[in-house]
This record gives sequence, C-alpha cells and structure tokens, in this order.
Amino acid sequence: MQNPDAIVIGAGIVGASVALSLTNAGFKVLVIDRGAVSSGTTGAGEGNILVSDKDPGPELTLALRSRDLWFEMQEDVGDAFELEAKGGVVVARNDDGPLMKLSSEQSLHGVTIQKLDHASLHELEPYLDQRYQSGVFYPQDAQCQPMLAAAHVIRAVVRRGGAFISQAKVTKIHVREGAVTGIETSQGSFSAPIIVNATGTWAGELAQMAGSHLPIAPRKGFILVTEPTKKYVFHKVYDSDYVANVASSDADLQTSTVVEGTRAGTILIGASRERVGFDGSMNYEILRRLAAQATSLFPILRDVQLLRAYRGFRPYAPDHLPVIGEDATVKGLWHSAGHEGAGIGLAPGSAALITDAILGREQFMDPSPFSPQRFLSMGIEKVLS
Amino acid sequence: MIIVIGAGPAGLAAAEAASRNGSDIALIDSSPRVGGQYWRNRGTVKGYRSGRADQLFSKISSAKSITHISEATVWSIEKEGDLFRVNYLQGGEESSLTAEKLILATGAYDRSLPFPGWDKPGSMTPGAAQAMLKGSGVLVGKRVVVAGTGPFLLPVATGLAESGAEIVGLYEANSPIRWLLSLHALLLNPGKFAELFYYGNLLKRFKISLKFNRAVSSFADGSATVSHINSHFMVKSQREKIVHTDVVAVGWGFLPDLTLGGIVGCAQRVDSDGTTIFAVDGEQRSSVENVWIAGEATGIGGADLSLIEGEIAGLSASSQSISPSKRFTRIRKEIFANALKRSYPIGDGWQSWPQESTTICRCEEVTMHEIRESVTELGAEDSRTAKLFTRAGMGLCQGRVCSRNVSEIVGGLTHCSVTDGERIASSNRPIASPISLGLLGDGKK
Repeated sequence: MQNPDAIVIGAGIVGASVALSLTNAGFKVLVIDRGAVSSGTTGAGEGNILVSDKDPGPELTLALRSRDLWFEMQEDVGDAFELEAKGGVVVARNDDGPLMKLSSEQSLHGVTIQKLDHASLHELEPYLDQRYQSGVFYPQDAQCQPMLAAAHVIRAVVRRGGAFISQAKVTKIHVREGAVTGIETSQGSFSAPIIVNATGTWAGELAQMAGSHLPIAPRKGFILVTEPTKKYVFHKVYDSDYVANVASSDADLQTSTVVEGTRAGTILIGASRERVGFDGSMNYEILRRLAAQATSLFPILRDVQLLRAYRGFRPYAPDHLPVIGEDATVKGLWHSAGHEGAGIGLAPGSAALITDAILGREQFMDPSPFSPQRFLSMGIEKVLS
Repeated sequence: MIIVIGAGPAGLAAAEAASRNGSDIALIDSSPRVGGQYWRNRGTVKGYRSGRADQLFSKISSAKSITHISEATVWSIEKEGDLFRVNYLQGGEESSLTAEKLILATGAYDRSLPFPGWDKPGSMTPGAAQAMLKGSGVLVGKRVVVAGTGPFLLPVATGLAESGAEIVGLYEANSPIRWLLSLHALLLNPGKFAELFYYGNLLKRFKISLKFNRAVSSFADGSATVSHINSHFMVKSQREKIVHTDVVAVGWGFLPDLTLGGIVGCAQRVDSDGTTIFAVDGEQRSSVENVWIAGEATGIGGADLSLIEGEIAGLSASSQSISPSKRFTRIRKEIFANALKRSYPIGDGWQSWPQESTTICRCEEVTMHEIRESVTELGAEDSRTAKLFTRAGMGLCQGRVCSRNVSEIVGGLTHCSVTDGERIASSNRPIASPISLGLLGDGKK
C-alpha cells in the first residue's frame, strides 16, 4: 500500500483503535510499528478499563464514552479479547470521607456507584480483610486482554482493506509547507496526508521528527503475577489511596495496589508508579511493597506463590491528561498518546475524537483539554522538566 | 566473602579452589547434599570416574572457610552499593546473605522437544529418570526406552539397566559419522576413549543395542513409535516400529539455567548451537564486575569442562594465580565440548513432529494449533508476542521448558530465523523461584 489515506504509527491498542475507527469511516489505513503488534506498553498492561479512578472532568467524560465504545468494538470485531465488565471495588480502611465524597461527585457525572457498608462490602469480596469498613462498587469498571484486543482489531483493519507492516522503524517524517506528506521507514517510504502518532512512550521522539514537540515521558510500573489459585478476588479491588496516587506528580516512588483475579486463575497485583527514564531494572523493594499491600487487603493471599513480575513503561504528559488531536504546528499530524496507565481504557474514545475531528463530525465532548496546543503556552523549559 | 551459587561440579570446584587461600565462602545449593544434578549424591556417587566427586566432597566438607547452605533456593539477587545481596528461601523462611563477589554455577537442565505424547505420564527426560534413581533410589519403570541425542543417554541407559530396568531401546537421533569431523577433539582428549570403552562394555553386558538416526515420534498407553529420521530430523515415512514400554526417557541435550546471571545483568551471547549462554573471559569473569560464572551456563560442556571452569573461577575470584596448564586444560575441554555440539545437533525437522493438538507449553496447556494461529491469524512474529497471545511460557516453569521451542516454532512459521536478541530476551525472569506473597511482603524495608 504505497498511498494510503492515513498512516497510523504504533500497533498498540491506541493505534489499533484509531486505525479501526478510520477504516470504518471509509479510509484506507496503513498501520506500521517498529516491532510487532502489542510490543510496547500494551503488551505490559493489565487491561484496565476503569472509570472509578477518574475525578469528574474531561478524562472521566472520555473514560465513560470509551468504556461503552469498548463493548461496541467487541460487537464490531468479535468476542475474542476477554472483555468483561468485572466491576471495581474501592475500599477504605479508616477514613472513608474522601472516597464517599469522590464517588458522590462521580455519580453526578454519569458513573454508576453503589456505596457499600461493612456487610455488603464483605459479601462482594468475602476474602477481604475484615478491617476494611466500607467501600464503593463501580459496576462499569471492566477488563480485557489488551494484547489480544490490539491483534484482533488490527486483523479487522487488514480484512477491511487496510494494511499492517511490522518491524518498520520510522526514520523520517516529510513536512511540506507546514503539513505532513509522508514518512520514510526501514521498510520503505509511504505518503499520506494524515499521519497519526500512536507511539506511546516514543510519541515525543516521533513529534520531534516532524519538527514539533510533545512533552511525553515514561513512568515505570510493575505487575506481579501469582500462581493460579482458587477464586479469592472477584473484582478489581483497590485501596482508595490509589485515586490520590494516579493524579500525583510527585517524582518519588509511590505504590498503591490494585488486586484482581484473571480468567487464567492467576492474581494480578499492579499499579505501582515510579517516574524514571527507560531504566529497565527490577526494583525488588517495590515488589515487596506491592505484596505487602496486596496481603493486607487479602490476608489469604499470604500463602499464594508469586511466579512472575514484569515491568512496563507508561507514557504520560506533565498534566497527566492524554494528548489527543492535531499537532499544534504541523498540519495532518495527529496525536493519540500519553494515556499513562489508562491507555487501554481510553483507546477507543480517543480514536473516536480523532476520526470525528478529521471528518469534521460532531464530537461527543469538547476535546480541547486534550489538545496538543496546550503545551504551546508552556515554556519549553517547563515542558522538558 | 565469596558466595558460590550451585554445588554441582563447577560450583564445588570453584568453592574448593577459592578456599585454598583461606577465602571465606558460602556455598548455596537447593539440594540437601552437595553434588548437583549430575553427581546427585546419596552418600556415594556411582558411575564413571566417580572417585573425583568423592574427593571433592571430602575437601569441601573439611574446608573450614566454606559454609555450605543447603536446601536453599535463591529467588533474587540485589545490588547494594558494592555488595550483592542474595535472597533465598530455606525451611519456609526468607533469608539473605551479602558478599562482594559472586560465583554463579547454576548448571543446566534437559531440553525437551514436543512430540505427540511427550506430556503424557510415562514420558520424561533422561535427567528426570536419573534424578529419581540417584536422588531417591526409585526406578522409573520396568521397561524403558532411552532416546534423544547426546552422550548423556549412555550413563542414563546403563545406570537404569544396572538398577534392574530393561532397556527396550536406546535411540540416538544423530549419526556417529558426524564424529569424523571432530577427530582432533578426541585426540586432544584421549581420556574420552576410556569413557566410551567403559560405556561400550556396560551396553554389551546388559545387551543394549544402540541404534542411530532414530527418534521416538509418538508415545501413548505404553507404546512408543520409533521412526527413522534424516540428518535434519525429518521423519522418513513408512519406516517405523512400535516398542512396548512403560517409560520413554527422551532428552535433546541441555539448556543452561540463566536466571540468576540474568537478574544480576550479566551479558549473554548465543553459542554455536543456538543456545543462549553467558559471555565470560579467560578467567570466567562475566560482564558484571565481581561476578564469575562457571559450568554449563557459559556453554554446555559436561562435568569435565565444568570442573576446570569452576576451578579457574574460584582461583580468579580469590585472587590466586592460574597456571598456564589449567588454562590449556580448559581450552582442551572446550574443544571437546564444541565437538559435542557439532556431533549432536538438533535438526529443525523436529518442528514437524507435533500434531495440531500436541501440547507445546505444558504449564499453560498451549497447543501447536494455538501457536500457529497466533502467528497466522494474530500477527505474532516472535516468541514474545506469541507468548502474550497464547500464554505459552507463562506458567509455573516460566518458559524454561518451552520458550526456546516456541521461538523456533514461530521462527519456522514466519520463515525468519530466531534473532540473537530474541533468544537472549526470553531468559529474563526476575523471580528466579516462586516466593509466597506473605514472605515477600514481610521483607519490605
């Protein structure tokens, strides 16, 4: 495919979603990736599709719509990526004031919540430590297998007339008179008037190739995987501290644990955040803290064996909001990146915003909070710090 | 202080050599007694030239500066300033030790290749059959087929026969003609003729006939199908034989255990036979300062090579001089080890043995069909993506058994040879051995 209508760079779930939504809008789409499908952050994710961890605001609006689009995407391409509305349970050990206040506000913005007292909390999660007094149930929180999702979505794109080229590293982005015209890659040159940057942690590097810039940096996260066990954890369960953590920009290491069971019977323990560069080393102290927090939520997990631990890099912007929209200076260059730990959940919603903007269709929300333009007002020093 | 991890031939030789100048040594191993898998030790060691083992055992137990930490499983190693902290599990507790220097001698395990029935009861590796015999005195079955490739099949078959098993077939997949390319290696290591003679006599005594160019191509309900194969391991049709047997012990050489060196960050390379190993210098130093590696993890070579590598590592780590004759001995043994790799290669034809329903990853029960689909339908191009799509290699053994096979199957399906980078990445396992969440969390600072 030498002359596609649009080129999507990045075959993770964010790129796959944009490719599908453009394909369904009638575009001939070429997807390329420097590696294989799901070889970046998508391949190191838990598959969280959460609304419970978002404060009322633009990201929550995006998350709610995106969550519904996930189920539409499943109808569109087939039930093959273990999408499940598992529900989230956020618990509070002592002071549940902040959690109850947040959930009340969320409910005013379209989030379904159910406040839980001690009895109903422990009915939902019978193995939860009895010391947890109360909590909130979020039935909309969902889960998928993100690597399979990206693979099936890209397969659908290819079957509908698109193309996918793997192991193609972008070496140059051609810009003429302020607009993109095409790219050069290790697998050949391609021209298109629309290029979508869905390269996650590499999105800043790619923007730079086009002479623009995006302040996106990687944040390291770890996930622990146990041996398969009896079903001890029925939902995504996390301490209410997690919500405070997500919005944090404190550079120090923080951990806050999300515990959940999977269809394979293993238990995933995740959500540590550490802002570092691309240092791939394992940090056993974080694993210990995650394990301690998981066993304090579920004491029965003390005897469960940890089999694996893996790390991934979450791409994030300084204001912790994703970057969705046309580049501030280069026409035809669109970004969908910087979704941090929420890329799986926000992928189809972000894709819809981009496709609707390209077509000039009405969008389901005002996308300006996610606009790449917002970094123009920041000084370059601030962007890079 | 020097911590030696692994008490097989390489680790014992390293500990003994390092203790000669009084260096303090902690020797950590997961078994109750020293000896490792090859010299699995129940008070005495049987087999060819086992006197060497006994000598080493007595030197280790009498050396005052060596502390043997037995039944200890290392699950992680951390760097703390100039020290290495080795975290291990022992008797249901987590403990740790620190030292300035590490010698890793973590050995190897049998390589399995999938064929229909390889995952059924009664099918095992020669190493497992030998471990049951030497470790707990249990005979795996009355009638046993020993098959696969490599000289290790000989001690296993004769050892089982000496203990009363009937060896109903001994099948070597390669042809002995390959040795014609490596006569120099035999001439440099004349002791090997004596070893061959020793096993030849035992085979004669137990009336075991060694057949070449054959492999067990399937196994079910007490019958093994033995097929003729060509030099690429493709089955020649119409030439097969059914052998009634309780057990098939099938092994395809060895894979080094790279986990701990990988955690420490030691550089790896791909050996001439496609096996991922650690890169070391002439004194067994790894790429990480103050970490030495000896034995199978630096290239499969058997006990003889492991002993001299261990001794050199021990001398180097304790700052003792290494004589030129020791260096020459290592080179001589390496030449023999390379001859073994040339004489017992694994042909790609094995990839045609599994049927669509044959399990490739036993822990997660992933079949050949699922791996094929992950490539043809979902676009997997390497073992990592195939693994993410199918869960192959994500179970209890962490891909130790299947990950190389999955890489090579995916390479075969995509017509791309497996890259060195992929071979090296697939050995990355930050949790070397399972640890309970309770113990893990209790250790937090």
